[in-house]
Amino acid sequence: MNPIYLIARKETGELLLDIRGLLWLMAVTIVLSAFSLLLVGSTELSLLDNAQVVYDMTAIVTALGCLLALIVGVDTVAGERERGSLVPLLLTPAPRGTILMGKLSGVAIAWAVIYVLSLPYLWAVGSTGQNMGQGMLITALLGTPVVLMFGFLGISLGSRADSARTALLTGLVTLVLSASPVLLGPSLRQSAIGRMFDAVNPFSAAVNAYDAVIIDSQSIISQSTHFAIALAWLFACLWFARFSFGKITR
Amino acid sequence: MKLTAFLVAAGLAILSPAALASPLSISLNPASTNPSSPQMGDNLKFQTVIQNNGTEAVDGLIAWISLVQVDKGKEQPVDLEDWSAHKAVTASSLASGGSIKTDWPMRLIQSGNYRVIVSAATRSGQELATSPFSDFTVRQKPVVESGRVLPIALGIPVLIGAGMVLQRRRRAHKQ
Repeated sequence: MNPIYLIARKETGELLLDIRGLLWLMAVTIVLSAFSLLLVGSTELSLLDNAQVVYDMTAIVTALGCLLALIVGVDTVAGERERGSLVPLLLTPAPRGTILMGKLSGVAIAWAVIYVLSLPYLWAVGSTGQNMGQGMLITALLGTPVVLMFGFLGISLGSRADSARTALLTGLVTLVLSASPVLLGPSLRQSAIGRMFDAVNPFSAAVNAYDAVIIDSQSIISQSTHFAIALAWLFACLWFARFSFGKITR
Repeated sequence: MKLTAFLVAAGLAILSPAALASPLSISLNPASTNPSSPQMGDNLKFQTVIQNNGTEAVDGLIAWISLVQVDKGKEQPVDLEDWSAHKAVTASSLASGGSIKTDWPMRLIQSGNYRVIVSAATRSGQELATSPFSDFTVRQKPVVESGRVLPIALGIPVLIGAGMVLQRRRRAHKQ
């Protein structure tokens, strides 16, 4: 049997069948549920425009996807190292590139699961308004490279750091920095530094494209600059993951 | 004495508001396609004609739209980022007697009473040209339906929780 498939199946099993993986998914759905209930319970939020709600939800889904991909990415290398199962895996005849592909597939499946779980939430809050389908599509098209990028970054950090904790902390700081456009208001992002940061930040690229497509009803095709930024970071992190994983000696 | 009075009168005439008035005039009208009673999520369009009534061309023209909420206790300027993708028009020059027609689309985000106005400035003009106000009211529309949200928000975590319990039982059964 193809080793990539075997490793991907193991990684998926740990997410979908292991208690720890299910707890992560539970945490993700609790956050989405809390936000949805807040929209219903808060008088102010319940009056938000439908497109604005869908935009907020897609940004949250992407942020959660990045967080889970980062955790899965770090855990798949550094976590395995600490559990003592990484060295036996590396000693198998399977080439490093094949093992890495299997682990990358695990990250991709984790994102696919989160995306599927988010669809009912998007439907629940956005089905009465405009651009819900476009919102789902742009999240799949642009959220995927951004989320996978963080998964690949997690694998890189897990390969290089001495411990899973160090790798996770470094990854989380990077994620918080990158996801700051969600936390900052539009006025702060209009400053020179904010605009420069937006121009190179893959997370900004994703949320700006969501804004343009969902709120301003622009076409997905017109978001090519945002796609280019996200894909550039994806390939850079893929290269970094391959390089770092190839250097593992213990 | 008469000469002094004449000079004073001439000076006042030069400095009077009429002499400083902008050569631009702006008309502002809601589009005929606008809904008569708009609600949140609807699209409105306003149409302006900026006309140069002066004897000379004006250079570096920029016109922009402003929106203010005038509800009692909520008086505030509105950030147009999500209301309108079309915030300004520019023209390098507008000849004497020339005009620019512009449509200003707007998506209604929040309920309330609003006044919209279009202003224009030029590179060297001393006065700001403004249109008359156009008023409109946005009706409230609750966009998130609790009937849809509650089953999803409560059901999905419960399903995953049930999966965890099932998994734990299966594992215990194996041992």
